[in-house]
Amino acid sequence: MDKVVVEVKDFNFRYRQTKRKALKNINFTVKEGSFFCIIGSNGSGKSTLCNALVGLIPHYFVGKVSGDVIIDGVSAAESSIAGLSAKIGLVFQNPFNQLSYTAGSVAEELAYGLGNRGMSREEMIKKVEYVAKLMRIEHIIHKNPLELSGGQVQRVAFGSTFIMEPRILVLDECTTQLDPLGSEEIFDIVKELNQKGITVIMVDHDMERVARCADQIMVLDQGEVVAIDTPQNIFGNPEIAAHKIGIPDFATICRVLKEKGYTDKEIEVREEETIELVKEAMAG
Amino acid sequence: MAKVTNTFVPKDTVIEHLNPMVKIIGVFSLGLGSLIFPNSYLGFAIVIGLFFVAGAAKLLKDFAKIMFGFGIPITVMLLFIQGCYSPKNVTIIADLGFAKVGLEGVLYALKIVSTLLVFLGAFYIMNKTTYTGKLVAALTGTGMPPKAGYLVLASLNVVPQMQRRMSVIQEAQSARGVETGGGMIARLKAYIPLLGPVVMSSLTDAQERGMTLETRGFGVKGVKQTSYVEVANTKLDKILKTILILFFVIVTVVSLLMRMNII
Repeated sequence: MDKVVVEVKDFNFRYRQTKRKALKNINFTVKEGSFFCIIGSNGSGKSTLCNALVGLIPHYFVGKVSGDVIIDGVSAAESSIAGLSAKIGLVFQNPFNQLSYTAGSVAEELAYGLGNRGMSREEMIKKVEYVAKLMRIEHIIHKNPLELSGGQVQRVAFGSTFIMEPRILVLDECTTQLDPLGSEEIFDIVKELNQKGITVIMVDHDMERVARCADQIMVLDQGEVVAIDTPQNIFGNPEIAAHKIGIPDFATICRVLKEKGYTDKEIEVREEETIELVKEAMAG
Repeated sequence: MAKVTNTFVPKDTVIEHLNPMVKIIGVFSLGLGSLIFPNSYLGFAIVIGLFFVAGAAKLLKDFAKIMFGFGIPITVMLLFIQGCYSPKNVTIIADLGFAKVGLEGVLYALKIVSTLLVFLGAFYIMNKTTYTGKLVAALTGTGMPPKAGYLVLASLNVVPQMQRRMSVIQEAQSARGVETGGGMIARLKAYIPLLGPVVMSSLTDAQERGMTLETRGFGVKGVKQTSYVEVANTKLDKILKTILILFFVIVTVVSLLMRMNII
């Protein structure tokens, strides 16, 4: 049986000095090694949920909380944020929020979290070299992080979380400052990590990518869970699409083919399956 | 992207490669030594010595600017105030007409000036030749709590961060047609309204940073923090530390004997 590494039970949160709940009665589980995507329109509570997963709620953001978030058997409310960081890592939406602002170089920035764990300098150097190469930032390793462009900082931010080797990675729109090519490079790394067994929880607005990567998708709307299901079932359901989530182009193609009577198969959301479906429809 | 200026600029000198603890001990040993010494001779001798150290650190021009830029006005001011109006004045050495200059006041002014210059000069050399990350790594290595280390580092890094934010806001203002260049008055007009948002956003940043640091494991209990920055403790460092501590002990003893009129 697949091990559940994230369990959110009856979770509610309202920020201080606001009337509306940011998250309402959230319930879901994420299995070890899975790729779990969270989608929804702006203000639907995606980032708030990410903050709750890494313990920033209730430890940092003040408000009214009920329910529980359990990360690998540990209650986020009962553990410290630093303690949880060994299990779960968050890549922030704004990469500049990820910087420690104590490092004079990218190498130091990457190694910051390792130093907090008491790692030896020799081990740090090896890990920094590996991650810098992986993130394609070797050429800026001696630069001051404050002198980098947004895209470069985003790579550094991702690297600084990844280097700590959390078993669960939470990515909150972590490629907003990258160009399409750079963004794809990062997602290739994320996919590779996922294939190696790292659990990925990703918030993204790129539905093509979500459809391509996700094992399961959770749709949030105004702080509530609308649906949790496979990409096919989410994007193939017109009722869910009404929640302004956007539909991948491949799903739209399949739907048109189905509506026009070219196929009666399930709606596909990924490139390869869609091509097959189109071929079959054309042949038929 | 805005260019950030750091206080420390690597120059590959012997002074730069010294263990930061040597420099910290140096600042306090020389500064306190000149403070407790009964007259200003030791202080001025140290100041002359610091010029040689600054030369070795390839900082002579900037160091001289700081020392004379601060030293001359403060000396003139203190000599005037203490020399003319110190209640300790007994021995009159000059009559300016409107006031009489007393020897005791002049000596006292020189003592203050020499001590200030020693502290200023030693701290300036330390600051200019020490990478802040290395300084904090050295301090935490001696047992300073990581939270205190972070405070030191964050405080030293606050200036480049504020510079960065200032230039970002300035660029945003320029893009919307606000004149941010030109003469002194135009610049002042442009900069003064920026100060409020820069200070406020820096405070917000500090709060957000606390959150970030914790998600990166800062404050994990039962772990001795380590650093990526290498801090060497060479034989030269050890010798210099011993010399500086011995210097302070000797100065203390000599000062006591001088105050007791034994020497």
